[in-house]
Amino acid sequence: MERNSKPAGAEDASRNLPTKPENENEGNQLHSEDRDEVEAQAAAQWSLAAKMQQVKNYLWNPEKREFLGRSGQSWSLILVFYLIFYAFLAGMFALCMYTMLLTISPYIPTYRDRVNPPGVMIRPYTYSFAFNFNASERSTWISYVDSLHHFLQAYNDSIQDEKNVNCTPGQYFIQEGAEDKEKKACQFKRSFLGNCSGLDDLTFGYSTGQPCVLLKMNRIVGFHPGNGEPVKVNCHVQKGNKSDLKSMDFYPETGTFDLSYYPYYGKLTHVNYTSPLVAVHFTEVKKNRAVGVECQLKGRNIQNNITNDRFVGRVLFTLNIGG
Amino acid sequence: MSEARLGLWSSMTSKVHSCSGILWPESSFFPLSQWLYDHRLSTKELEEKYGTNILQGLTNMRAAEILARDGPNVLSPPKETPEIIKFLKQMIGGFSSLLWAGAVLCFIAYLIEFSKDKSASLDNLYLGGVLIVVVILTGMFAYYQEAKSTNIIASFTKMIPRNALVIRNGEKYEIPAEHLVLGDIVEIKGGDQIPADIRILTSQGCKVDNSSLTGESEPQFRSCEVTHENPLESKNIGFYSTTCLEGTATGMVINTGDRTVIGRIASLASSVGHEKTPIAIEIEHFVHIVAGVAVSIGIVFFIIAICMKYRVLDAVIFLIGIILANVPEGLVAAVTVSLSLTAKRMAKKNCLVKNLEAVETLGSTSIICSDKTGTLTQNRMTVAHLWFDNEIYQADTSENQKDQIFDQSSATWTSLSKIVMLCNRAEFKSGQESVPIMKKIVMGDASEAALLKFSEVVMGDVIERRKKNRKVVEIPFNSVNKFQLSIHETDDPNDKRFLLVMKGAPERILEKCSTIMINGQEQPLDESSVKAFQDAYMELGGLGERVLGFCHLYLPEDEFPDNYSFDVESMNFPTSDLCFVGLISLIDPPRSTVPDAVIKCRSAGIKVIMVTGDHPITAKAIARSVGIISANSETVEDIAKRLKIPVEKVNKREAKAAVVSGMELKEMSPEQLDELLANHTEIVFARTSPQQKLVIVEGCQRQNAIVAVTGDGVNDSPALKKADIGIAMGCAGSDAAKIAADMVLLDDNFSSIVTGIEEGRLIFDNLKKIIAFTLTKNIAELIPFLIFIIAGVPLPIGTIAILFIDLGTDIIPSIALAYEKAESDIMNRKPRHKKKDRLVNHQLALYSYLQIGILQSVGGFFAYFTVYTVQGFKPDLLLYLRPLWENDSLNDLEDSYGQEWTKYQRQYLEWTGYTAYFVAVMVQQIADVIIRKTRINSVFQQGLFRNKYIWVGIASQIIIAVILSSGFGSIPVLNFTTLRIQYWFVAVPYAIVIWLYDEFRKLLVRHYPGSWWDKTMYY
Repeated sequence: MERNSKPAGAEDASRNLPTKPENENEGNQLHSEDRDEVEAQAAAQWSLAAKMQQVKNYLWNPEKREFLGRSGQSWSLILVFYLIFYAFLAGMFALCMYTMLLTISPYIPTYRDRVNPPGVMIRPYTYSFAFNFNASERSTWISYVDSLHHFLQAYNDSIQDEKNVNCTPGQYFIQEGAEDKEKKACQFKRSFLGNCSGLDDLTFGYSTGQPCVLLKMNRIVGFHPGNGEPVKVNCHVQKGNKSDLKSMDFYPETGTFDLSYYPYYGKLTHVNYTSPLVAVHFTEVKKNRAVGVECQLKGRNIQNNITNDRFVGRVLFTLNIGG
Repeated sequence: MSEARLGLWSSMTSKVHSCSGILWPESSFFPLSQWLYDHRLSTKELEEKYGTNILQGLTNMRAAEILARDGPNVLSPPKETPEIIKFLKQMIGGFSSLLWAGAVLCFIAYLIEFSKDKSASLDNLYLGGVLIVVVILTGMFAYYQEAKSTNIIASFTKMIPRNALVIRNGEKYEIPAEHLVLGDIVEIKGGDQIPADIRILTSQGCKVDNSSLTGESEPQFRSCEVTHENPLESKNIGFYSTTCLEGTATGMVINTGDRTVIGRIASLASSVGHEKTPIAIEIEHFVHIVAGVAVSIGIVFFIIAICMKYRVLDAVIFLIGIILANVPEGLVAAVTVSLSLTAKRMAKKNCLVKNLEAVETLGSTSIICSDKTGTLTQNRMTVAHLWFDNEIYQADTSENQKDQIFDQSSATWTSLSKIVMLCNRAEFKSGQESVPIMKKIVMGDASEAALLKFSEVVMGDVIERRKKNRKVVEIPFNSVNKFQLSIHETDDPNDKRFLLVMKGAPERILEKCSTIMINGQEQPLDESSVKAFQDAYMELGGLGERVLGFCHLYLPEDEFPDNYSFDVESMNFPTSDLCFVGLISLIDPPRSTVPDAVIKCRSAGIKVIMVTGDHPITAKAIARSVGIISANSETVEDIAKRLKIPVEKVNKREAKAAVVSGMELKEMSPEQLDELLANHTEIVFARTSPQQKLVIVEGCQRQNAIVAVTGDGVNDSPALKKADIGIAMGCAGSDAAKIAADMVLLDDNFSSIVTGIEEGRLIFDNLKKIIAFTLTKNIAELIPFLIFIIAGVPLPIGTIAILFIDLGTDIIPSIALAYEKAESDIMNRKPRHKKKDRLVNHQLALYSYLQIGILQSVGGFFAYFTVYTVQGFKPDLLLYLRPLWENDSLNDLEDSYGQEWTKYQRQYLEWTGYTAYFVAVMVQQIADVIIRKTRINSVFQQGLFRNKYIWVGIASQIIIAVILSSGFGSIPVLNFTTLRIQYWFVAVPYAIVIWLYDEFRKLLVRHYPGSWWDKTMYY
């Protein structure tokens, strides 16, 4: 439209200068300007069709055999250029990544500052960290139980006996030798969990309203938790009446993660490593109300009070046991 | 102001061929007679009509009443857009609307989340808030910048208050001119500007310069008689804003303010529509491209996200991210700053720009229609040649006239100089002792002033010498006599004779002579001397100079004794058989800088067209001397003369140059004019009226040219408005012209226009560089979102970090690019084609987006992957990890080493990734700003350290990044973390590749102009 509005605007401008009527010449000029304007309008209408044609021509110009204003040759040149360009880029990126990965040890991460101090998780896994169930209604807790059974599969005594070695408790199980040498893992048998092992009580206490919750400290390669003294687990009511949580049992009875399971040597060499667990058996919990429980790890190089991260060195969950 | 007044004083131009007086072609301008008939009324009728008294004037009370009724006597300025509208325009124009959309989406996203979960994260709310703050801040910034640069000119357009001498209550008062009302009786004298339209009541030798109204510079007499039906031609009307050159007059105010003739024309001018400036069109075009890209990519990926079963809310958030990544938030600020920088720089070079965009328009100028007087020339008559002793001597016409090297030893010169000095009524205004001669203000017409200054330079202290040679009697110049005569006592005490001196039109002077002085000796005027005279006269006339003849006669002592009483009426003294002494020719000489400027224009592909009211011969002579008509090109007439054939037979195509008079132009049809403009490269329009200027401008615009037009008179306003860029003269220009213009030349100098053009081209180039720089990283900001959506990796860069690139690290470097000096070819290439050469062309977009942008993204991803890998997450693990990665309840996510991560630990790592990506983009943007210094030259040719601001910019990039990454950025919401020192250098290889690749590109572009590579890769 720009193209058309311009001469029309010019016409307006000159028409704005009123002409002296007695001057014959200029009268004529005025007349001719009127005519021009009519022509301009006609041109404007005509140009819409022309514009469409122009767009069509741009998309595919049959005369010059051009697509989007470029001939086939031009397009193929561009295509080839970008092909080479991106191939070069891809090559460069691949080379960079390759070099970078070469400098990375497959056994030990370069830095472990972001994953440290360790977090804590619970099993059974729930999305909301809330255990809502009614002891008398099997359907409300069976998922927890299944989840635990599934989780503890790897801890079956037979598997542990077969794959892992028996270690001396109370001291770190330090394995010298080359980085890439396969490391042995210490046995953590399901039976260590006593009443929470699911061996005697197949329902992990859920059927009696005395649920078991397993605590697992996040693995960190080379980390020596507790600095020589085993990390201990402690659970209490997070907020509110302390009497809501009258008693609980820990399995293993010490309520600690034994030193012999550390340090962790990484997935690649420490193949059969099974994280040690601490089971908390909530034997007397106030029923029919949500009890906020906080389980904390206590140890020398353990933090459990980072404001932003509520899963480092502690874990929060609610127990709401019905009936 | 002194120079300005000088300009008005001596704005008359030379005319060797007698000028029959330009008959107002403008009289057809509009039917004045319908509203202005006061010139036909008698004084009595006038008194009655305006309720006033010619002797007593109005009473103060009556005047106050009328003032209250009619308002002050000022031209109302053109309607300005209200400030608030300007402000709001900045807020919603361009990208702001996209950002508003982003902010609204953010709030919607937050509301949806909030309605589901009361403890929803506030991130979206914050982001929306930040976006609004960004829009408002950048809007305010742009508004402030524009207001600031508007003020540069606003301060200028405010005129110095003028006073008027008015008779009220029978007493004279000096009051501000704007308090004048209808019926006031005012007195004017030489040098005053006429304060309103007045009907002359009495006049003593009053002459006015109507050039600001009509463009005609010949002084006109004003008297109290009606001389014409048309008020514009009647001598008893004085017009507002015209200048009284000499004499005195009293008049009655008959029109004030906008109702004056000038006021009508000014309002006429404002009715001519103004075209959008090219840069405005370009920026709009650019915004459309980027917004189009942003919205279409956004929508495509919104749909993809939906198809990939993302939640709608997530898809909306992706959409926001994509829009944010695509919008160069900081660009508006950078562009306005660089424009106003240029405006400032131009003001320093004597060009004041009214709106920022005009600067760039100037750069794309392809035709300049320039006035002659004052723009190409010095706007003062100057002695150019002398002829005596049968020889032509050249005088120094430079601005200071210091080197008068002609032979001054001849006795003829002694006589001639005496005549020049004595036969001259011009005088210096008093109180200018310390002012250099050339700058002194002179009372008198232009030729006389020129001769006065000339003799002052050559002989010194003219006034003192005149006193010694007391003037006895004189006859001033008039157009009937065509001579000026005076009789003096001589300063030689022994010589009691009177000296009669005379100057005037050479042929008339020669008629009165019977002898001629050669080497101080009087010789009879024989045929050969007459022939010599004729030759000299023709030659000087042919140079377009105004020639004056000089003669004298010592009156015999016996006939004219000491006490002889000369009488002008009866002419009781001889005016024939005088002794012819010499000729002096005057010209308004070209400014010394103009020829170079014209050459520059030519190499820059800019056509210079001279448009003048002067005679074709004068115009052509000046055009030749400044190079508008180059030395070897001929006009049709020249060819005809050379080949001795009639003009009609000459092949018009052969003539490069053309001199067209206003009369010829009037006869031309638009098609003929188009043909003329298209076929001749060197065109001079002479004897044109200001209205024809509009015709010429329109003709040029029909050639698809961007036309710059200079003008000073009120009647130039329509042409100034119509032109793509109107240039008003700061000294000689009228208010109306300045109001209509886009630019004001403070020194009225043509070469300043050329400087302006260079600046304009530079700003266009630099804007390109700024935009290229800014667009590049948009891809580096966008790709992460796309990969995030498609490959499900943890988000490589967050929206806040994007904002910190756009509005933090990148701002100062992009502004620094505005300081970049011109590349070598700036004045050697053709002017920009309005439609074809876009600011953002596909080469620029593709090179920035698909090449450097992608390169930067790759570098950014390398940094991102590196940071994740060293912490335990190897690239293969990251693919499609997103659902687990972002799962809030999954607090033991295993990495490649079997370590387990809590959600917050992962989050923190993600922020480290943002920081790494941010730093990588920053590092590569350093390379980017360096490569953007030039588009074709090597950076090393341009000088790596010539533009220090670039290094300030680079330093700012690094400092901002360091601050953000060193704890300050760990403020919640900002989400920056500290980065180990070595990861700052991860992207350095990519930065180096960017630099090398661009040098390679420029090398090929330089070596293979016109090749496929040049066409594809040169932006």
